[in-house]
Amino acid sequence: MAGNPFPLSKAELLKAYRTMRTIREFEERLHVDFGRGDIPGFVHLYAGEEAAAAGIMIHLGDGDRIASTHRGHGHCIAKGVDVGEMMLEIYGKKGGSCNGKGGSMHIADLSKGMMGANGILGAGAPLVCGAALAAKYRKKGEVAISFVGDGASNQGTFLESLNLAAVWNLPAIFVVENNGYAESTSRDYGVAVDSYVDRAAGFGLPGITVDGTDFFAVYEAAGEIIRRAREGGGPSLLECKMVRFHGHFEGDAQTYRGPGELDDIRANHDCLKKFAAQVTAAGVISADELAPIDREALAVVEDAVARAKAAPLPTVADLTTDVYVSY
Amino acid sequence: MGEGPATIGIIANPVSARDIRRVVANASNLQIADRVNIVLRVLTAVHSLGVNRVLMMPDRGGIRAMLSRHLGRERNLHHQFPAVEFLDMEPISTVDDTFQAARLLQASGVAAIVVLGGDGTHRAVVRELMNGDTGIPIAGLSTGTNNAFPEMRESTLTGMAVALHATGMIAPEYALAPNKLIEVSINEGQRHDIALVDAVISHERHIGARALWKTESLHSLYLTFADPEAIGLSAIGGMLQPVGRRDPGGLAVHLADDGASAGVLLRAPIAPGMLRDVPIAHWEPMPAGQAFTVPLQGGVVALDGEREMPFDAGDRVRVTLRENAFSTVDVARCLHTAAHMGLLRHPSQPHRRHPSWQATRSP
Repeated sequence: MAGNPFPLSKAELLKAYRTMRTIREFEERLHVDFGRGDIPGFVHLYAGEEAAAAGIMIHLGDGDRIASTHRGHGHCIAKGVDVGEMMLEIYGKKGGSCNGKGGSMHIADLSKGMMGANGILGAGAPLVCGAALAAKYRKKGEVAISFVGDGASNQGTFLESLNLAAVWNLPAIFVVENNGYAESTSRDYGVAVDSYVDRAAGFGLPGITVDGTDFFAVYEAAGEIIRRAREGGGPSLLECKMVRFHGHFEGDAQTYRGPGELDDIRANHDCLKKFAAQVTAAGVISADELAPIDREALAVVEDAVARAKAAPLPTVADLTTDVYVSY
Repeated sequence: MGEGPATIGIIANPVSARDIRRVVANASNLQIADRVNIVLRVLTAVHSLGVNRVLMMPDRGGIRAMLSRHLGRERNLHHQFPAVEFLDMEPISTVDDTFQAARLLQASGVAAIVVLGGDGTHRAVVRELMNGDTGIPIAGLSTGTNNAFPEMRESTLTGMAVALHATGMIAPEYALAPNKLIEVSINEGQRHDIALVDAVISHERHIGARALWKTESLHSLYLTFADPEAIGLSAIGGMLQPVGRRDPGGLAVHLADDGASAGVLLRAPIAPGMLRDVPIAHWEPMPAGQAFTVPLQGGVVALDGEREMPFDAGDRVRVTLRENAFSTVDVARCLHTAAHMGLLRHPSQPHRRHPSWQATRSP
């Protein structure tokens, strides 16, 4: 085996794997803890979709902004938000990313360019137009990326944002994470034109569809789209076809799934398994080098849970803090 | 096919023309709505000429859903369409859908398969059909990025030609044409695949976003035909030494490492909207049946424009051109034959004349 066939260094490959594995451990742990009633509010898990977050965010710096969705934990972790603070936030504890007052769907960390998960479907796209407009004026080559699901792509806000980004030629990128279901409704029943690239074309924007379970496909496509936006080439759309391992929300019985569907996607469409198979088959990284990352990711998540459980809740006095921001 | 009810198949790829070349080269994107319109026109045409049953690949990319809505509307309007049945398979939105659909269509004994896609989609259909060896012909419609293999043609006309063949109105020796392909074998058949237009060897060694557009990474090209009017990597051969689709043999093109060591620097349209200078070392004919060994130690074989087969140093990669490998419906010849033989002329029968016809043409 001669050399590394991938367009990333070994260190970058290991970083990407660590990001995806950390997301997976984080989400699988929340699945358990939410089922036990330990977590207030609602959670929507990103497990199964890690390659998209990791393959896109590896191209970004802290100055690049993203707006996430209700299913935002993976985006946060990949964008560099502290896992401990995220867990505190999801547990509703002081010291969380938003001091425990936002919860799962409102994790934000502007120092990392993470403008927030968002409980309102399709609401991230207009925010990203604002961030992209700011980036355009700053002229530092920064970009802003909105994530939206296949269901929320039906929202007017999303379509209006495609238009605005096009006419203002913003360094905005619209990522459609197409996991096939708008909550429980198959896209066959909810989307008149089941191609998000077609929607972009309606506004004169280029769009690409990739296998969102293949890290390397996402990585290469996202790299070109982001470079184009940084250099003034304007907005684009990236559709990642992907699978979600869990329900729309935790507690969803998923009666809308086909027989054997979940077993199939875990067995045959697991982005982490695919990544590991590709890098080990190429001889770049051995299974022995991946195993410690698995253990460390698990340890990070367990430590975050322990600290979250031990941390204090916000007090009544905290109700009136963080309400207004001084400019 | 003889007399009796004629059945054809349709495989329409919902995700051709969706790759990275939209961003790096302004390649066009044929929208789902247009793909559905193309299918509807094929359906109308084949039904008008006697095909009453069509089997279609189901998909999860929007074609089935939109086509079903359209067919419902057409039925409400009492428009005539053949019976359209979707194959009994669960689409998973990968190329495996195409393989499975081709397999099922072959088993069902359709007279021909209409394919909507680019070079890659057609390659997938042919690859599966080769396994069955039933000789079912395909008729290609361009809805991809590089469309060197499928013809750019109005789908109504392709549908007519397919129906003329499927109903037996034109015999196979007139309706069908033979095609070449390239077989790629790694380590004496351990891995094996085909290309319909080009097998391209690249120094890149990963699959990634699949499309190949960086000319500095190219090592060599093996072409079934080289058409100066084609777009894509085969255009490099087309601009060097044209070889026709029906001519014997193919063309092998070996690239130089850089312009300084090149015998020729050739400017060619290697993707839609993308002309590049390609350093050429030399080129040579590719006689049928002669295996060419790829000298590169580690790289990837791209088949009809997409990176498919990575290989390492020590892997033995061989490419071989095959003639008369599979059949396509020769649309131009079918339509000319129909005209020449008067196949679409109907005997004048007064009781079947339209009233306005009678009014103006009565003796």
